[in-house]
Amino acid sequence: MKQWIVTLMLSASAASAGQSSPSAASMPSFSPVTWERLLHASDEPHNWLMYSGTLDSQRFSRLTTVSKDNVSKLELKWAYQIPEIDRAETVPLVVDGVMFITESPSNVVAVDARTGGLYWRYDHELPDDLRICCGRNNRGVAILGDTLFMSTLDAHLVAIDARTGSVRWDIEVADYTKGYSKTAAPLVVKDLVVTGIAGGEYGIRGFLDAYHADSGERVWRLHTIPGPEHPDNKTWAGDSWRTGGAPTWITGAYDPDLNLIYWGTGNPGPDWNGEVRLGDNLYSDSALAVNADSGELQWYFQFTPWDVHDWDAIQVPILTDMNLSGQSRKVMMWANRNGFYYTLDRVTGEFLVGTPFALQTWAQGLDEKGRPIREPGKLPTTDGNVVSPSVGGATNWWSAAYSPETELFYVNAFDGEQEFFIREQEYREGEQFTGGGAQNVEPNDKYKSAVRALDPRDGALRWEFPIQPRSTSGLLATAGGLVFGGSVDGYFYALDAATGEELWHIALGSRVHAAPLTYAVDGEQYVTIAAGNVVFTFGLD
Amino acid sequence: MFSLMSVGAATSGLAQDNPYDTTVDIRMGARLFQAECGRCHGLDGKGNDETGAPDLTNGSFRSASTDAGLFNVIRDGISGTTMVGISWAPDNRVWQVVAYVRSLNPQTGDYDLAGDADSGARLFRGKGECVTCHIVNGAGGRLGPDLSTIGNRRDPEELRIDLMDPNETVEPRWWTVKVVRADGSVITGSRMSEDTFTVRVMDDAENLWHFVKSDLRSLERVETSPMPSASDGLSASEIDDLVAYLFSLRKES
Repeated sequence: MKQWIVTLMLSASAASAGQSSPSAASMPSFSPVTWERLLHASDEPHNWLMYSGTLDSQRFSRLTTVSKDNVSKLELKWAYQIPEIDRAETVPLVVDGVMFITESPSNVVAVDARTGGLYWRYDHELPDDLRICCGRNNRGVAILGDTLFMSTLDAHLVAIDARTGSVRWDIEVADYTKGYSKTAAPLVVKDLVVTGIAGGEYGIRGFLDAYHADSGERVWRLHTIPGPEHPDNKTWAGDSWRTGGAPTWITGAYDPDLNLIYWGTGNPGPDWNGEVRLGDNLYSDSALAVNADSGELQWYFQFTPWDVHDWDAIQVPILTDMNLSGQSRKVMMWANRNGFYYTLDRVTGEFLVGTPFALQTWAQGLDEKGRPIREPGKLPTTDGNVVSPSVGGATNWWSAAYSPETELFYVNAFDGEQEFFIREQEYREGEQFTGGGAQNVEPNDKYKSAVRALDPRDGALRWEFPIQPRSTSGLLATAGGLVFGGSVDGYFYALDAATGEELWHIALGSRVHAAPLTYAVDGEQYVTIAAGNVVFTFGLD
Repeated sequence: MFSLMSVGAATSGLAQDNPYDTTVDIRMGARLFQAECGRCHGLDGKGNDETGAPDLTNGSFRSASTDAGLFNVIRDGISGTTMVGISWAPDNRVWQVVAYVRSLNPQTGDYDLAGDADSGARLFRGKGECVTCHIVNGAGGRLGPDLSTIGNRRDPEELRIDLMDPNETVEPRWWTVKVVRADGSVITGSRMSEDTFTVRVMDDAENLWHFVKSDLRSLERVETSPMPSASDGLSASEIDDLVAYLFSLRKES
């Protein structure tokens, strides 16, 4: 028996050596990820070092091996089956040939990025009385040095050794029994781990936190609903601010020159009954610009004042510099769940461009400051009121992408509608506090869904690629002239970034709820997407 | 694992019947259901294809058949799926949700129907020609929905509307598609499923077809029902009989 085991190991080793290039054999996988590396992540496109690829969150890769000319030859290289049968929303990181995949409910594995072979696994022990509104999801980790940082459903932040999966520290960010949870990938800024909170359906009071990467000690907390000492607290009737939601459940972006972190906030609570929280409800449904060192709010832009449709501004801010009306501007691009696309000045928060990118019936338009001009008669009612977008939004948390080569902004859009209801509901700690609901009027097949390419200078539609509604996939743009995306009917596809022409697709057999990424090992480019509870990786011959 | 199963069985054994099923309990259960379950299952409990949450109004459940089974699912969720439980809630509130979910399924005793089910059955197979397109208990045509348990899914008023105005609600599965192939030939049939790149069709002769959209000259959707209105050929009392028959087609739990 003993001899048999030794023989087997030797043969496996020989086979592995035979398949590897000389560089792979001579270089170990993984090396620590310094802040300098994160700062210049676009300079090492063979890695995917953070949730949105780079600090500007463009989801644009400079890799060109897979291009318009050969993308039709992509083939499956390996698949990793997540043991828990739940929908995977993960965007893995790739660091020098090692891929870190988060799993439902709050686990992470490290695998070889060429084969999917397992290095280690970390299973986070969870209590059995979680408060989860919308699935047991986790969307990814952040990395600094040789430590990973992961959010968990019991509202903890966990630091994990990237080489072994051992826990370095594990802190409680908030009390899960009060409805707090965590699903989003953190963002590393210098030596801080910046992380948000979920629970907008449970009457929480949202915040954005920063923790020391080494110790897990909290450095600052910015409440997304200001307290009574702040004048903006008056945008909440009575004590409604205490249970007003405004969570921060997706990852933000960072501008190192301005030292500003950009983060979106979610819906005010209760979601649909706005009568109990009259006022603009600052800073719900907003883009926040936050000083990275102090956590002070530099500026905000509220997309949907007094939201009564659950249209969280939980989208990833995308940053670029562009010439606008003859002036060079540092901008932030944002396609919002409320149906409008925005370009903002990210230095000041000034509204520059705003136009619908999907069907919306709730607003006549935006005024000169970007504030929506509401259409009368579009509020939720006891008997139901049909409004576009649907509660799921014209888009949602799934990542958009931007290509500096085409200078186009790509977003998955849904021209849906739903019937919105209002209900009286008392707040009870730890229970859902939504004050109504929404339900479908027609089957989703009646509605239109598309990948849309917008010109961020004016929000104009350049092209669209129709897909079956309603896709919850993120997008990826590459210097190979491609846009990758997924669909609810289980396809993974590549489009021509300039024209929207479909160049390749494959049926993966389950819904895509994640965003694609690309990386390279030993000079070979790979493209990865999670569908259902499987992570698929494709490459060329 | 064995001990866990034993605990579950013991819980089930405590109360097979719901101790909290009064009208007030149902109302309380509705509130908790709408707050905790409505986002996925819909405020009306009819489910949501997008979230994968099943219709809870037809009296048939994937993971439970008894009240005790429903209690366990609502409290603990279903492992390995997106269904999470409300284990933080006290037992009486979980039972109230069970009572509410049970109330969503129309029962035969809830209605005093004017029609005669036996006469309706004869009409279904005879003058009404319903059997040409609809299967009941394994027999019938394939061009319309299988109606073997339609009484679990539709109440008598909904069934009457279905008969009188078939276009009131047409599920995408029963839309008609007209496909023109590259050679100009035309295939028309019911839309079995469609995705971004392909579509599958059953033609009028019950043949199955698969088409890649990019290969087609055109693809046309007709979102109305090919079924004629019952009022075109049947009297009011005959329609009453058909409603009674269709509502009797049930799988009793």
